[in-house]
Amino acid sequence: MKRIIVLITLLVAVLIISACAQPTPKVVEKEVVVTQIVKETVIVEGTPQVVEKQVEVTKIVQEVVTATPVPKEPVVLRYADKAADLGTMDPHFAAATNDRNLVDMIFNALVRYKPGDGTQFEPDLAESIPVPEIVNGKQVWTFRLRHGIMCHPSDAVPSYELTADDVVFSLNKSATADTSAYAGEYSGMSVDKVDDYTVKVTMEQPISPVLFLPKVADYAGGFIICQKPYEAMGAEEFKTHPVGTGPFMFDSYSPQEKVVLKANDSYFRGRPLLDAVEYRFMPELNSRELGLRSGELDVINGAAEGQWVKRMNQEDGIRVDVYGVGEVATIHFNLTRPPLDDVRVRQAIAYALDRDEFLALFGAPVAANVYSQVPAQFLAGGLTKKEVDDLGLEYALNIDKAKQLLADAGYADGFSLEMVSSERESYLKNYQSMQAQLAKVGIKIKINTVDHSSMHKLIREDVNPIVIYVAWRPNADVYLTRFYHSDSIVVTGAKPDTNFSHYTGIDDLIEEARVELDPDKQIDLWKQAQIKLLTEMISYPLQYQNQVTARWDYVDYGHVLKSALALYPQITENTRIVK
Amino acid sequence: MLKYLATRLALTIPTFLAVLTLVFFVVRVIPGDPATAALGDYASQEAVTALRERMGLNDPLYIQYFRFLADLARGDLGKSMITGKSISEMVRQVLPYTLELTLSAIFVGALLGVPLGIYTARNSNTTIDYIGRITSLAGLSVPAFYLGILIMLLFAIKLKLLPAVGGGDLNDFKSNITHLALPALTLGLIMTASVTRLTRSAMLNVLKEDYVRTARAKGLPERAVVFRHALRAALVPIVSIIGIWAANLIADSVLTETVFARPGLGKMLVGAIMQRDYTALQSVMVIYTGFVVVINLITDLVYSLVDPRITH
Repeated sequence: MKRIIVLITLLVAVLIISACAQPTPKVVEKEVVVTQIVKETVIVEGTPQVVEKQVEVTKIVQEVVTATPVPKEPVVLRYADKAADLGTMDPHFAAATNDRNLVDMIFNALVRYKPGDGTQFEPDLAESIPVPEIVNGKQVWTFRLRHGIMCHPSDAVPSYELTADDVVFSLNKSATADTSAYAGEYSGMSVDKVDDYTVKVTMEQPISPVLFLPKVADYAGGFIICQKPYEAMGAEEFKTHPVGTGPFMFDSYSPQEKVVLKANDSYFRGRPLLDAVEYRFMPELNSRELGLRSGELDVINGAAEGQWVKRMNQEDGIRVDVYGVGEVATIHFNLTRPPLDDVRVRQAIAYALDRDEFLALFGAPVAANVYSQVPAQFLAGGLTKKEVDDLGLEYALNIDKAKQLLADAGYADGFSLEMVSSERESYLKNYQSMQAQLAKVGIKIKINTVDHSSMHKLIREDVNPIVIYVAWRPNADVYLTRFYHSDSIVVTGAKPDTNFSHYTGIDDLIEEARVELDPDKQIDLWKQAQIKLLTEMISYPLQYQNQVTARWDYVDYGHVLKSALALYPQITENTRIVK
Repeated sequence: MLKYLATRLALTIPTFLAVLTLVFFVVRVIPGDPATAALGDYASQEAVTALRERMGLNDPLYIQYFRFLADLARGDLGKSMITGKSISEMVRQVLPYTLELTLSAIFVGALLGVPLGIYTARNSNTTIDYIGRITSLAGLSVPAFYLGILIMLLFAIKLKLLPAVGGGDLNDFKSNITHLALPALTLGLIMTASVTRLTRSAMLNVLKEDYVRTARAKGLPERAVVFRHALRAALVPIVSIIGIWAANLIADSVLTETVFARPGLGKMLVGAIMQRDYTALQSVMVIYTGFVVVINLITDLVYSLVDPRITH
């Protein structure tokens, strides 16, 4: 028995030692060129003579014992996201955070949000951001493409120069429901090739740059794909073998494990400083954290909790970045469900809620209060705290007023509501906090917790009297249209979407703002719409929740990180590892 | 034996059919829509409707069911509803990771569990026996994911001996074995607890038998008594528990693969549930069912090898 134990211990030790050992030195056969002095007999004037002669080239074989040569290590950034697996790398279908992150590294657009700052546009594939012209009542944006932008090589098609054909093809693909999840954003828009390097985008109805530029920027449908490889491999194959023009190109995909991107040597802004990016799928936060702490990962998607940020920042060499864009949590009241059809009841709920109590669940700097439906911190058209304060629309905590309003509405003893919540903390914590706060004024809430996907389905089937929704939208028009336009009413709207309130009161303001070309007037219209929403308490803006990533301090993103629509710190050609 | 084998194999067909039918309908009862899950909440309604059509989700359920069975009969697991990638190909890529994890865990569990069980049985009601029993009880009570995190903290963070996460490269022995060590140890230790307890109890029963006493009375060395006479007789329940654990470990690998961020069938299952990828989910369940059927069959066949009295 003892012998068996000793043998097993030895076997395990040998395995571990052999696995951890340095590379074994190798014996290699090497051919070398030397010069040798040889003696030979030659006949000089009929007499044999021995002469010494230098033979210049003699090959001999030499045995050299050498360690295995260590190749130059490629500089690879290892990033871990919370997703379980890849969804798609077709940018026009990329909706999950991990998919958005990946396509951000692979593709470009005509214009782009400045890396690390989602509030500024700059030219990307286009040489400059054009000034629109009005031609026959239509708005024309003429983009001149940079020369020499190369599509990544792929198994299907070798690398080739991107031209206007690719841009036209790509934007038309974005506008088609069968080939894009964002087709609705492109109605009333046509794209034409003028020449190989010029593209004309025509809007039937002129719109302001604030609304137009996101359509052709590096977000959702604005990404430009390369036409030839897409057509050669087909839509299905393209999902896992994307071909773009970005700083990194697709190398490999291991299901449930990782996607590897390698540097695009021909990138038009210069070769990336990283050789590759390993994008790993790790749904478990503890695993990501341990992977980072053990040095196997360089950057991880973190937890949106102030405590976590504080704890990780205390680790030696680890830095946590908290940045926008912040996804906004809003409480939507369903106006078709009594007693929420009474404005006094909705206002009573608003007065019974304390934003700071919700905020404490997430903790600074991860979250911050918002006071209007469009977050003023990130987008034009939002209302600041001072503005709502001045208008008397802050709905600061006032339990007495809440009780009085309920009594006026005939609900002095409160009432009961039942609703579903996602199991995700960003939702469930808010629902539970609301439940506890409203209990103080006699409103009893029963929460049925379901998985995230089920919640999305159920709230779109109009099951909830109150919906808490956490979302980012790229501009005020999208926020207001999709949450408050009558077309967007869940189930019954002309284009059912996320108007959970069934509200119909600001359609005219939304539509007027959409076609307003003067930015100041446009912002004013958006603000008017939100003042109406707050006055009638259609929804209660709660907080925005920032993005959180942790990294080793040797990772330099290459830009100042304020906000990123791609929902990750953005890995670009300037990102580097400084060890 | 061949007749027995053929009968057992024939019986797996209705088992498979029942499981497949159950899985097919249960998957579709889960709330949530694959198209919405795939496109996210920002996608337009037209896009969601178009994707549902392309996914074949608008077809009547019975048509989807017979299509699923017909594909399976041809050996085609279909394509992922989300990535469009061949599921057979995805399984081919991740299955080796699950198999090596399960086999290594069985190896660790049997290698530690059987000798510990024998040792504690021979030293029953001593301090060592009590320690062994308490430890194995603790091992049975600790969830795999929790033990996994503790093991990671010790070996990867404190001692920095082994990597914490990932599956390593299957073509690189060092990478593979180092990435396998901690998850295999996690699952193996949990199995050890169970195997130790069962081996101990089986050995205690056998060691009291008359023929063991007779063997000792004949003057046989203790090693021969224990290993040749007692252990052989105690092997049937031990093989049973190892068989049961082999099936359990495949299921436990779901958590272990997630915690250690290893690719594998378990992680594929979790991903398929999160993404509402019906085809991937069904396929993984089919493979799990196949494993359980095969493991049970092998266990039954091994009985007759360890105990000649059992014939088929």
